[in-house]
Order: sequence, then structure tokens, then C-alpha cells
Amino acid sequence: MKILVLVSQTQDTEAKIHVSSSGDSIDTGGMKWIMNPYDEFAVEEAIQTKEKHGGEVVIISIGPDRVLETIRQALAMGADSAVHIKGDGFAETDSFTVGKVIGGEIKKLGEFDIIFTGMKIIDEESGQVGVQVAEELGIPHVSLVSKVIEVDPAGKKAVCQKEIDGGHVTVEVPLPCLITCPDAMNEPRYASLPGIMKAKKKPLTVVEAGDINLGELGLSAEALGKDGARVKTTQMKVPEIERKLTIIKGSDEPMVKGEEVERSAEELIKLLREEAKVI
Amino acid sequence: MSNEVWVVADLKIDGSVRQVTYEALSEAGQKIAGKLGGKLCGVLIGSGVSGHAASLGKYGAEKVYVIDNDILKDFNTEGFTIALSELIKKHEPAVVIGGNTVFGQDYFPRVAARVGAGVTMDAIDIDLSDQNTLKIQRYSHSSKAIPTQVFHQNYPMMTTVRPNSFKAVENPKDPEVVDGGVEINPADIKTRVIELETKESDRPELTEAERVIAGGRGLGSEENFKHVYELADILGAAAGATRAAVDAGYCPYDMQVGQTGKAVSPNLYVAIAISGSVQHFAGMGSSKVIVAINKDPEAPIFQKCDYGIVGDLFDVLPPFTAKVRSLVSEG
Repeated sequence: MKILVLVSQTQDTEAKIHVSSSGDSIDTGGMKWIMNPYDEFAVEEAIQTKEKHGGEVVIISIGPDRVLETIRQALAMGADSAVHIKGDGFAETDSFTVGKVIGGEIKKLGEFDIIFTGMKIIDEESGQVGVQVAEELGIPHVSLVSKVIEVDPAGKKAVCQKEIDGGHVTVEVPLPCLITCPDAMNEPRYASLPGIMKAKKKPLTVVEAGDINLGELGLSAEALGKDGARVKTTQMKVPEIERKLTIIKGSDEPMVKGEEVERSAEELIKLLREEAKVI
Repeated sequence: MSNEVWVVADLKIDGSVRQVTYEALSEAGQKIAGKLGGKLCGVLIGSGVSGHAASLGKYGAEKVYVIDNDILKDFNTEGFTIALSELIKKHEPAVVIGGNTVFGQDYFPRVAARVGAGVTMDAIDIDLSDQNTLKIQRYSHSSKAIPTQVFHQNYPMMTTVRPNSFKAVENPKDPEVVDGGVEINPADIKTRVIELETKESDRPELTEAERVIAGGRGLGSEENFKHVYELADILGAAAGATRAAVDAGYCPYDMQVGQTGKAVSPNLYVAIAISGSVQHFAGMGSSKVIVAINKDPEAPIFQKCDYGIVGDLFDVLPPFTAKVRSLVSEG
């Protein structure tokens, strides 16, 4: 099987974030960059699929030089080769264009069976590109797949379970298809030391943004970059919600004990009724 | 291009209309259609959906497009994508809005790619820019940041909106009902639902609920989650959980709130035995009032909540629940 994985690099959102001086983005100076956590599930699912059915796993990633580190991580986990679509302006481009560019490069790779990618990227939190790549390729997608029940390369189909509000559905989809991964579908493996050593020698194809034939993709010359974007971020705020921080504690030790328990429950109810007016 | 503003009805799996549809109609009516001078329209896509036209009218829809086809039963991505894309190509609306639900997240980006539209997801504010294009706000960076995003003059402009972000306000209209006239070729539907399992629950859905009672791993067992359900049922609230509680097997994945689960913004969020990780806050940090019950005074949640009790949930919750129960029964 030929299994593709779309992997993104993202800002580590655990860190404290600040608005940049331009006011329309997050300051990435000193920011740690990591593999998008949802894409880790995608890489893991791809490797497990390969382990079961044989074949190869190809990583596709778009972004500036630093993305190479994330590509290496995926290779170290067990992927076989990678394509790096390299350029600085993709972060400001719209998802429509990114979907077309990635789709265009995938078409050059020849036939494939299945594509895995994370359900969304944790910094932008948009969750559009994967689905839009599927559209560009003209293949079906199944989003938010909580479990891949079966991949049947001979029968050219996959069976997946996806969560919906109030239950779940089991869907059968013909291959090739694209699957987006939420968490909880598997346990992503860590890269082993030999894996990390091997990763450096695995085949890597670099596609320079400047070499992409935009006209062939039906895109204009301005499509890459902020001015051609269908949607532009004009302002970024990092709001601090003021919380009341009214905490009821015990008198002797932090926890309420004995009689304090009853009183604390009463006090909390009073606050919720009279001050917050929510019950 | 017309200057119509469309709200695509988001339907539950049982075929009923989700509240987010009415919220979107109300907000789009006030903030967008009026200023744009365009008609506010509802769009119904599904099987046996025509009957909902009147309820969309109740929230301001002056016109309702209907694509009613058996092939669209149980929601399938391809059918909905074809239906909405073809309808857009035919009538060229200026703005298309949907709910940011499992379904909206699934097919809105696909429709946008097909019709060449710009699209944003999960908006918490919608408005018009100085150029009369769509302007939205949403959460990013694990809900720590709020970008304002403005659309280029490229039509249609599409967005999904987060449930519970706007007030649904009645504004009764007698809508003109228009047959969408979109043919769907069964051969174009390649994915097939082979099993649909829904759970009957009297509790409201997490993303729609005005109150949410959620539990963490500190509950200790599936059995102990009854404390969460009991309080939820008394308050008419939805029940939620942290990822740790779900991973431990105490409750199903569809109860998970947080970065990798559902995003909620209720009026009241009660966090029981939840420490308050960044990932959990990414899903509930926008709640209006946050209450924490936790035995660890150092738990991060006590730095980010409105009210809290430092105490063992097994001590505090029974009297709290009993008092809430008697309050509710008094009315």
C-alpha cells in the first residue's frame, strides 16, 4: 500500500502567547515548534496500517525550513520518505490555496491508497486543509474518525467509525480516500534512537514554493501570500477573562472538613444564585 | 451574485433542527442581512426536511431553499456537498453560514473548495467589514487567542458558527419556500453508512447546553460518575468529562470537553475533580461562570474559576446536590 500523511508543524500552545507588534498575529519569537498533536495520531495510524498490510508511508509537509524537524520526527517514528513543500508565505495563504498546492504535489506522486491527517492544527484551529486536499484530488474523505476498523487494500475499501453527537456511525468508504484523525484513535509511538539515526538518511524531496506552477492549479500569481488570501487575519487579541476567584477553603487546612462542608455548599449555592444568578 | 445571506439548517441525526440554526439566523439577520440589504434565507438539506421551513421563518428567514431527497438520509458528506455546492452555483449567495457541528465541520470546507469560496470555522462573532465583506472572530491557539478575520471580495463568503454563541430571537416571517432543484446522482455517493448507533439521552447535548457539569479523573470510577449525572439531571445540564476521565474509561468519548474533544461555552460550567489543564480550558475557557470543586488547593483551576470549594468531592457534592435539588423543586 502507498499511505500518505499530511503533517503540520505548529506552535506549542501550552506556552504563554503574546500578540506580535504588528497586532495581527502571535509573536513566534522564542516559540517552540512541535508536530501538530493530531498529526501524531495520523502518522501512527499510517505506520500501523503499513505494519498490517505492507507498503510505504510518505510524509507531506508544507512550510518554511524549520518544518524539516517535524518531517524528521515522522520519519523517525517509522515513515519511509517525505516531501517538503518549502516556502515562507504559506502561513498567510488561505486554506483553499494550500489545499490546491498540496493536492498538486500529491498528484505527482502517482497512485496511492489512503491519506491520513490530523482533524485540525492546534494553533490556527481551522481544520480545513485536509478536507480541501481530498476535494482537490477528487477522492472521498471521512472526518473525525475515532477508529479505523478495517483497511482492505485488495477490496479497495476502508471501514471507519466516526463519532457524531449522540452516538456514532460506521462508514464504508472506497480507496483511495482521506481520513482525518481526532485523538484517542491510537497511542502515537515515540521515535527510537535508531529511528532518529535512520531518519536522516531517508529520502526527502524538496519542492520550492517558487517552482510550483500556480497556473496549472488554477491559481493566480498572487495566490501565495497575504494579499491573495480569501480570508485575512486583521487583528489578534489575547483576551484575559477576569474571573472572580472566590474560593472557599477550610479554616485549619485547605480542604473544608466536618461542619465546614455543609456551610461551604450553602455558601456556594448562595453565590451562584445571588451573585452569579446562574441557578 | 445576489446579496442573499444563507443559513444552512444544521439537523440532528433524528432530523430535528439544532438550536445553532436559529442562533445563526437571528445573528445573521441583525448583523449581516440588514446591513447588506440582502434577504435572509434558510437552507434545508436532508430527507423529509421540508416541514422545517416554517420554523426557520419564525427566526427571520424570508425565503427557504429546500433540497429534500431520500439519498440524504443519515447525513453523508458527498450528498450534502453536492447539494449545497450546486445550490450555491445556481443562486450565488453572498454569505453562507452553518453550524460548527460534526456535520458542518465535515462538509463546509469541502463545499468551499468546490465553489472556490473563502471559509472560516467556528466563529463566535459575525459582522460586516467596511468593504461589506464578512468579518468574523473565532478562537485560536488552544482558545487563548481571538483573531479577527476579514474576507476578501470573493463570493460566497462561508463560515460555520459555534453553538451557544448568539441568542436565538424570534422574528416571525412567512417564508417563500423554493425547491432547490438539485439532482443528486446516486453514483456520486461513494461513502456508505453501514451502521448508525445513537444513544437515547434526556440530557441536552454538550455543545448546546446552558449548563454543563463535568468530571475529571478524580471521580475514580465509572460508577462514581453518577454524582456528575445526578447533579446534571437536577439542573437540566449536559454531562462532560476531561480527557483523563475518558481515557480511564469512566465515560464515553462523546462526553470529552477540551482541545481534543468538544468546545462548550455554557452559562455555568461546574468542574468536579478537574485540575484545569491548558487542553481542558481550550474547550471550556469561554464559559460565563466556572465553578470548581477540587481537593487540591494548588490545582490550576483555582486560578481560573469564578467560584470554588477546596474539598473532597465525596464530602462536598452530596450536600451540594441535595440543596440544589430542594431549591429546584421549590422552583
